[in-house]
Amino acid sequence: MKAYKKEVQFTIWMTAAFILVGNVGLIFSIFPVDAMLFGFPVMYIVPILMGWFGVFLLTLVAGKIGNRIDDEIERENDALGHADEAKEV
Amino acid sequence: MEQNWQLDNPILGLVVVGATFVLFYIVGFISNRQSKSAKELYVGGSNVGAITNGLAMAATYMSLATFLGITALILQLQVPFIMLWIQLILAIPLITIIYGTSLRRMGAFSPTHFIRDRYGTTASIIAALFMILVSIMYALGQMIGIAITFETLLGIPYITGLFIFGILIVGYITIGGMAGATNNAAIQMVIIALMFIVPLAAIMKAIGASGWYFPPLLYSDMVPAMMDALPTFFDYQFSPKWYFSIIPALTIGALGLPHLAMRVYTASSLKSARSAMVWFAFILGLVFSATYAMGFVGVFATTTQGVTISDADADKLTIILNMVYNPEWVTALVIAGAISAGLSTLSGNLLAIGALISQDIISTLKPNISQRLNLRIGFIAIFAGGIASILLAINPPAFLVVSILWAFGLAGVTNAPLIIVGVWWKEANKFGAIAASVVGGALYIIVSPFVFPSIVLTGHGVTDGMGLSGAMLAVPVSFILLIVVSYITNRIPALSGKLTKQADIELIERIHGWKDIKAYRYNSTLGAGITVVVSAAVAIWALMPWGM
Repeated sequence: MKAYKKEVQFTIWMTAAFILVGNVGLIFSIFPVDAMLFGFPVMYIVPILMGWFGVFLLTLVAGKIGNRIDDEIERENDALGHADEAKEV
Repeated sequence: MEQNWQLDNPILGLVVVGATFVLFYIVGFISNRQSKSAKELYVGGSNVGAITNGLAMAATYMSLATFLGITALILQLQVPFIMLWIQLILAIPLITIIYGTSLRRMGAFSPTHFIRDRYGTTASIIAALFMILVSIMYALGQMIGIAITFETLLGIPYITGLFIFGILIVGYITIGGMAGATNNAAIQMVIIALMFIVPLAAIMKAIGASGWYFPPLLYSDMVPAMMDALPTFFDYQFSPKWYFSIIPALTIGALGLPHLAMRVYTASSLKSARSAMVWFAFILGLVFSATYAMGFVGVFATTTQGVTISDADADKLTIILNMVYNPEWVTALVIAGAISAGLSTLSGNLLAIGALISQDIISTLKPNISQRLNLRIGFIAIFAGGIASILLAINPPAFLVVSILWAFGLAGVTNAPLIIVGVWWKEANKFGAIAASVVGGALYIIVSPFVFPSIVLTGHGVTDGMGLSGAMLAVPVSFILLIVVSYITNRIPALSGKLTKQADIELIERIHGWKDIKAYRYNSTLGAGITVVVSAAVAIWALMPWGM
């Protein structure tokens, strides 16, 4: 149950995080900001930076957690194999 | 002032392009000597390393549009188009985490392969036909772009260029298969990045930008001059609804593109697929950011530096900037980069068409044909798909990039819901899938400006043409139909004989990595209900006035 819950929650939250980080323009279209950052308007450069480095960081996190959940599913499978080897499920 | 943008020395351009072609043929030939089975042809034996695959994913995704169309649309739409483009980077990461690893575990060749196992023959053939349409539209865009490049820059007549280079390209993809295409795409990605960013640095240096040594991000010293010359450049122009519609149309749309998903299945392992996604994000972010810089520099050059680019030449902005500011041999290299970008995407599209026709249609209808015959049909399908896109490109439609983006929406309506819901909800069945694909697809086509120009949602040409408005209505409708029709038909006893509930449940558990079956897994009625409510809200919002 634990690994399954983690898998579902990971996919939902990670998808939401990716969509948010890739669509910062949508957020700024609702809440406009009139400021500058690194010489650019914030509403221009922040979506670009998030769309590159934000997404890149999320892929690192998603890769790590995805691998860990796979291992957990594998462990639950193994535990199941020992516990009820004879049982048909 | 109208100018004829053409290389003074077309031989130089031809030699550079010819040399890259020879390289691609050799790599394709060597890589594919062992392609003896369909698995090797379409997914490179599922044995591709993370860096190669990540680069190949990026190259497959970065079409000729990077060099031709995008910068033109930045010139036209300015910042809103950049905001639209940024989220395209989500494609591979989202495919990987939502369903890519599951389908890789299943051993699928293409997304429709999953649809066949999950929903049966009829649904998979409907989905495959839509996917062939999407792939051909996509391939068509590349073909047109390649022929236009040869025509305008090297002086080769459009039709001649289309046929000669079209057939050369189709030949190389047919010879190379997926292993060849993957190795070539990885090389092409390096060529694309170098041929785009290095010449851009030279252009920025010539204009006087102090951050020329890192073009993707260091051009802020041009911002004040830009704001003086064109104060509206950074304006968002459109309402939040427009920005929201990008999510169903392009973010979800990309999840249904077969040639992208197929890249995930080529990975040697699930871990390798996840590492490839990291490389993809890094390299794509780099080149995308450089594209925005190129668009910015283009607008800057036309508004402050006296460079004149007519509307008809807008597509060639990248190459024109190189002609103005760089020596001719650099422009020749940029053209080779543009052709590489077209080639890698085209090979992804054609391989998808090959897999769809031979694996998803012919093997489905005639499961007993031999491996050898199946492989031969695959080669013929790849070749025929290429020839079809060449023939369709004889009379090219206007708006190259716009029609490619419209194809994203079609994939989002007809394929993405079937795959996403199919992987995560056991109740989804073939009746729901067929209803979603057919009704959603028809609705999307009806509200597009291409069939009934008077039936559109916004009346704003580019918004309807890119499928933003159509997808905002049709994608949620497709999700609702899939869930509601499945839910109802699962509860009609007369239909239970026609459904394969137990096989579906086993398939879903297996592709998520489970060796046992548990009723509580992937069975949430609450999750399905929330999806229906949210989808209904989005569809109603899409029908309300857009105020454009």
